[in-house]
Amino acid sequence: MSEKVKILYIDDEPDNLVGFKASLRLDYHILTAVNIPQAMSCLGNHPDIKVIFCDQRMPGTTGVEFFEEIRVSYPLPVRILLTAYTDVESIINAINRGNIFRYVKKPWTEADIVSAIDEANKFYMANSMLAIKNDELQKAYNELNKFAYSVSHDIRGPLSGILGAINIAREIDDVEEMREMLFLMEKSLKKLDTYIISMHDYYSLQRGELKITDIDFTKLLDELKPIYSVFSKTSQVEFNIQINQQEVFRSDEVPLKLIFNNLLSNAFKYQDKKRSNKSVDVTVDVQKSMATIYIKDTGIGILGSHIGEIFNLFYRANSQEVGSGFGLYNVKSALLKLNGQIEVNSVMHQGTTFKVTIPSI
Amino acid sequence: MELSFIVIDDSELDCFIARKIIEHTDANLHVKTFQNAQLALETIRENDAVDSDAITIILLDLQMPLMNGFEFVEEFEKLPPEVKKMYMVVVVSSTRNNKDIFRILTYRAVHSRLEKPLTREKLLSLIAEARSR
Repeated sequence: MSEKVKILYIDDEPDNLVGFKASLRLDYHILTAVNIPQAMSCLGNHPDIKVIFCDQRMPGTTGVEFFEEIRVSYPLPVRILLTAYTDVESIINAINRGNIFRYVKKPWTEADIVSAIDEANKFYMANSMLAIKNDELQKAYNELNKFAYSVSHDIRGPLSGILGAINIAREIDDVEEMREMLFLMEKSLKKLDTYIISMHDYYSLQRGELKITDIDFTKLLDELKPIYSVFSKTSQVEFNIQINQQEVFRSDEVPLKLIFNNLLSNAFKYQDKKRSNKSVDVTVDVQKSMATIYIKDTGIGILGSHIGEIFNLFYRANSQEVGSGFGLYNVKSALLKLNGQIEVNSVMHQGTTFKVTIPSI
Repeated sequence: MELSFIVIDDSELDCFIARKIIEHTDANLHVKTFQNAQLALETIRENDAVDSDAITIILLDLQMPLMNGFEFVEEFEKLPPEVKKMYMVVVVSSTRNNKDIFRILTYRAVHSRLEKPLTREKLLSLIAEARSR
């Protein structure tokens, strides 16, 4: 069985506390308090208390008043009132003001308490699951909203461009002019295709199991290198790769490649065009089952105030180049899957360095 | 009246299409295209020769990097009234987001909004409106 359910019992008569603890301590983790201040400090020290039993009749504050107070400050624990008095007035108060889960009559029997705890625990678990699901739903909903917003621009934009081009193609007789237009249409379609591929990456990262294999970083980067060498040549950006791997590294190749691809294409894309000596440096160092990857560029840099947001979906800190706003978000999701970390260091007009650490699985 | 066009759109293809449609509609129409709204704004600012008999239609995209359509209009509205009078700002966008469309139409400098793609029919009705101004 997992950990014992943590229970707090408040009663101004120490004998009651002792009796309660004695009969239930084997099955539950029992905490007791003889007055309200003690109970409050106990709640502060144990945020994982799941059920609170409280006596109604106490000097100063009543059980109902206490529950009414903690409903706001400690909403999670399930509240159960213990009382010898069964007048309707106090029951109504307990329900309406204290918002209690159950009402146990004094003197209690062990069976009453055990069944109350069982039900309260189920209620507590259902509530916390609901809270987690709610958070997940809220997040998914926010992303869906962003999606809907981006769809009209990032998908409809290129499509309407191509539609417009087809419209005027009927009036173009000049072959050169036609070729120029076809070239631009191709560019638009490629942009759309990139968007859809990133969207697919985004989706498959949210689902799917990991496929763990042995990773040879030299081989992995050899596969990626040709994509960037073309760019490296045409834009005169030096591309250096340094790998130090003596040991076996196990991970999933697909998210790993996605991380490299996104960080590398950003490193090339956001180069400072005016600058000479442009470069992209990749170093991979595998030590003690941990891969440390640096991707360093001599690019335009990221403004300090934007750094906190660059990993957000559809966020774009700079607009020198066309971007979908998916890239770094996907990197972060991939790292989450691989249990990795990422750090950014950037100086405006000097360059950006991403440091990625991934444990072998 | 002399009529000319400024096209502001970060998409190269959309700039090309707008230029072709305008030129094919009337070869005498003058067109300038900008993929960067900031550059367009600077060009407008520098051209301070006030000509009451000329009008330039600005075809403006909304979602653009660096300076988007909203930012462009905000800057444009700060220009002197006699300069603003020489231009007619028409938003040309692919967005279906009503909030964006409504927001851009609240600017006094924005004449109207067209949905992409730009076609000859849409252009002809724009020209007619500009001439009747």
